[in-house]
Amino acid sequence: MSASTSPIVGKLDWTVTPYTDLLHQVNSSTIVGAGAASVLVLGAVAGGAVLTWMRWWGPLYRNWLTSADAKKIGIMYIALALVMLARGIIEGFVMRAHQATALGTLTEPESGLVAPDHFAQLFSTHGTIMIFFVAMPLLIGLINFVLPQQLGARDMAFPVLNQVSLGLTAAGAGLVMISLLIGKFGTGGWTMYPPYTGIQYSPGEGVDYWLWAILISGMGSTLTGMNFAVTIFKSRAPGMNFMRMPLFCWTSLCVAIMLIYAMPALTVSSAMLALDRYAGFHFFTNEAGGNMMNYANIFWMFGHPEVYILILPAFGVFSEISSTFSGKKLYGYTSLVIASMSIAVISFTVWLHHFFTMGQSAGVNIAFGIATMIIGIPTGVKIYDWMATLWRGRVRITAPIVYLTGFFLLFVIGGLSGIILANPSIDYQVHNSTFLVAHFHNVIIPGVLYGMLAGIHYWFPKAFGFRLDERWGRRTALLFVGGFVFTFMPLYVLGLMGMPRRSPTFQNPDFLPWMYVASFGAVLMLGALASLVWTFWTSYRNRAALAVPGGDPWNGATLEWSTPAPVPKWTFARIPEVKARDDWGETKRAGDPWKAPEGYDDIEMPADTPHGLLIAGAAFALGFAMVWHIWWLAALGFLAIPALLAWRGMKVIEPRIIPAAEVEEADRRFRATVASLAPATRADEESERNRGRPDLAEFAG
Amino acid sequence: MTKSNTGMVDPQESAAKELKTYALGFAASVLLTGVAFAAAISDLPAVWKVGIICLAALLQIVAHLRNFLHLSFSGGQSREDLLLVLFSVTLLAIMAGGTWYIMADLGGRMHEKGMMPHEASP
Amino acid sequence: MSDNSLYPGLNLGETHSAAHDQAETTVFGFWVFVMSDLIIFGILFACYASYLDPVGLAGGPGPADLFDITSVAIQTALLLLGGVAYGGVSLVVKYEHGHRRLIAWLLVCAALGAGFLFFEVRDFIEQAGKGGVPQASGWLSSYWTLVGLHGIHVFSGIVWIMAMVAQIAVRGIDDVVKVRLSMLGVFWHFLDLIWVAIFSFVFLVPLS
Repeated sequence: MSASTSPIVGKLDWTVTPYTDLLHQVNSSTIVGAGAASVLVLGAVAGGAVLTWMRWWGPLYRNWLTSADAKKIGIMYIALALVMLARGIIEGFVMRAHQATALGTLTEPESGLVAPDHFAQLFSTHGTIMIFFVAMPLLIGLINFVLPQQLGARDMAFPVLNQVSLGLTAAGAGLVMISLLIGKFGTGGWTMYPPYTGIQYSPGEGVDYWLWAILISGMGSTLTGMNFAVTIFKSRAPGMNFMRMPLFCWTSLCVAIMLIYAMPALTVSSAMLALDRYAGFHFFTNEAGGNMMNYANIFWMFGHPEVYILILPAFGVFSEISSTFSGKKLYGYTSLVIASMSIAVISFTVWLHHFFTMGQSAGVNIAFGIATMIIGIPTGVKIYDWMATLWRGRVRITAPIVYLTGFFLLFVIGGLSGIILANPSIDYQVHNSTFLVAHFHNVIIPGVLYGMLAGIHYWFPKAFGFRLDERWGRRTALLFVGGFVFTFMPLYVLGLMGMPRRSPTFQNPDFLPWMYVASFGAVLMLGALASLVWTFWTSYRNRAALAVPGGDPWNGATLEWSTPAPVPKWTFARIPEVKARDDWGETKRAGDPWKAPEGYDDIEMPADTPHGLLIAGAAFALGFAMVWHIWWLAALGFLAIPALLAWRGMKVIEPRIIPAAEVEEADRRFRATVASLAPATRADEESERNRGRPDLAEFAG
Repeated sequence: MTKSNTGMVDPQESAAKELKTYALGFAASVLLTGVAFAAAISDLPAVWKVGIICLAALLQIVAHLRNFLHLSFSGGQSREDLLLVLFSVTLLAIMAGGTWYIMADLGGRMHEKGMMPHEASP
Repeated sequence: MSDNSLYPGLNLGETHSAAHDQAETTVFGFWVFVMSDLIIFGILFACYASYLDPVGLAGGPGPADLFDITSVAIQTALLLLGGVAYGGVSLVVKYEHGHRRLIAWLLVCAALGAGFLFFEVRDFIEQAGKGGVPQASGWLSSYWTLVGLHGIHVFSGIVWIMAMVAQIAVRGIDDVVKVRLSMLGVFWHFLDLIWVAIFSFVFLVPLS
């Protein structure tokens, strides 16, 4: 990177790519860096080529990118998350491989696969990607897909805003991705604590990439939170009062509340850091009255609710699947609702436990330590509720149940290590060690990852019309469970042996055996990723055999199973009148659930629009330009956003009307299909005989 | 108070009533602003001044919410909005109060009382 | 929807039940957005308070050196009048007094907002002249950020008012425009609320 700033291209020049580093010096670190950049470039080229070859650009634009349908937006979120997940897992593998080879000596302290600076970029991007661009889009995507269907709504309250949120998230993800090829990412970890990340110690573009990715995608997440909350408050089907909502809707509401109130803190801390870096402010600097401790304070004011933003949707998924796959009503619905809401509120009172060792007095630490222990109680309640749901049920060991079992076993261990860490005096011993790394992976992987993958497995037929291959699904789940155990259990041991987290090298040979075990676990994780991809691919190839046109492959009880699979764009031919909790289950019990409605009306759907795409483009341009100090482009991107809003505001936008006749024809066809299907029993669930029409005699939920 | 417009009331009468609401709100905010500024430039002890300013601000915020933003407990949407505001203020109080608690404690431990900033800098 | 849940301050006509539902949803959504914004301001207030000590001042100019209480009073008067003037907008919309009066009231609001911004910017320039730039100390950074963010909000409000004037001129007062005016009202009054907190806690309390 050159020292001067050009008015046209800012600080960009030909030396910013990792290929320059490779030409400069050939070693394993630069090869890995250039290889990653090449994967990005080749992936983009290959993707473009496939789209061109198959002539898919038009359909992609018309059916997906300009769609304001929450279901499609949800699927796009999940697709984005899975791409980022692949990068995150591979980065995790490289880090494990590095540490397994990083035993240094006193004479030659630097060793291992990658250079220390490269290693720091790896753990920073890994954390940033996994939290903001894997976990968040996964859960937001799943909520987008499921929530309106469970509430009996046609769409989110603000469909176009939803599109804008997706665009902003994708723009942020794009910034992180492009940092592989152009320039470097920050090295301050996913939290980017100043003063290290201030301009004085981290002058380059790295921290700026993080800042703009976070600011832009954070804005998207805040807007998503609003959208979810308003949808839940205002768009429920008639009769769907709060205590009839499926539990997934409740946890979505908690997520919405936390997004609305926690994301602003992240926006503030990032904006303050940006002001420090770009305009010489003194919020978090060492000198002139700056206070870097305030960054930790504000960041974790967001960061702790964020943990529960991540975990609560998974709790919602586990509530749904534990009930469906054991063929029982959810045990303790009310207690689960109360527990979820308590978690949502208490999560705002515990943030200090992320910096117990920053130097505040014992009284402050104790206050937050106690709050932290209290928040374990509602979580414990939930675990018991799910176990009680499974108790004496006829549990089918499908892939989601394998995930649930893995979650039970591992999440409880993670939770217990969390209770240990909630004690400030213990935290003083193990903070900043790999014990902590093991702890949060131990809650986030079994919680978020297993939960979201279980949810994807569960609702996949609703989206695409065919089930995922159960055998491969279970293999993937087992690989993720095994991969987790082998990768992260050794880190508990290493942490207690005194190994600091984020160490590019270490001198104690006793660490090595555990490092090897962890690397083996990372290999299993890679295998799990490959197996996941293979599950999708093999199910796609077998889609005819796995098709479930009846729309209810698991004998479910909630509203989304009443519609065809794949679900039509209008979701419900007629908005249901909800009469009970688990309304679809009640209809099943009452007799003929697939009875046609009395009449059909025209349906208003939001018109397709490229609005979200344009705003995403402007936001990406703004972020990229700010990172590289290309001021003209930044101004253009910044002004384009209000201009787009004003332009749209001037137009009168008519919704798309789907005539009643079209709806009626499709609905009658669906009902005829269901009538023609043979009911599948529980024993047939995984076989070809499961066409999405369950045997009602077996329904007990 | 603006009640919801049911179409039952005489529009003129209700317009006059609403105008009165705004006028009342305006009068209250002028008065409370005046009190706050007067307190600031008065010779009262500092604690009193701060107390009066805080109280005036609180009352003025309530007046704005009631008279200009039409929030009330009377039911319907205005009640929902008011509950939303109260919930937000609760969370904000936790966050802002917690920040003040933590930062004040850290400040107290970092910098002994009476130390001047020029002594702190190297 | 029952009658008493119609959105306060709105008149969308008797026959528009669906329009009422949509209006209620949209304005409620905007309230939620404003609450999220409130958290941003709240955290900045807390920061301002935590930087207001000798360490945060870092030997730079302090409140007594920089703040001009007369100018703050003028700004307060302008902004409060602007807020009340928006009452005119709401009433004109509700009782259908026509385009011209509506645009006139909107322009009054915008003008008062612009007057507020004029004095605020003048103060900022004066303070910078006295060495009170945001680069001078942690406290000044937080002061400029908090008050500046409010100023940016007022500016956006003025831009929004102008966009609404353009929309009324082009598309007339349809339901969508009414809902947007209602949201703008929430935003504009919200800025008053924040300003009440700013003049009390940012200016008056440190001067006491």
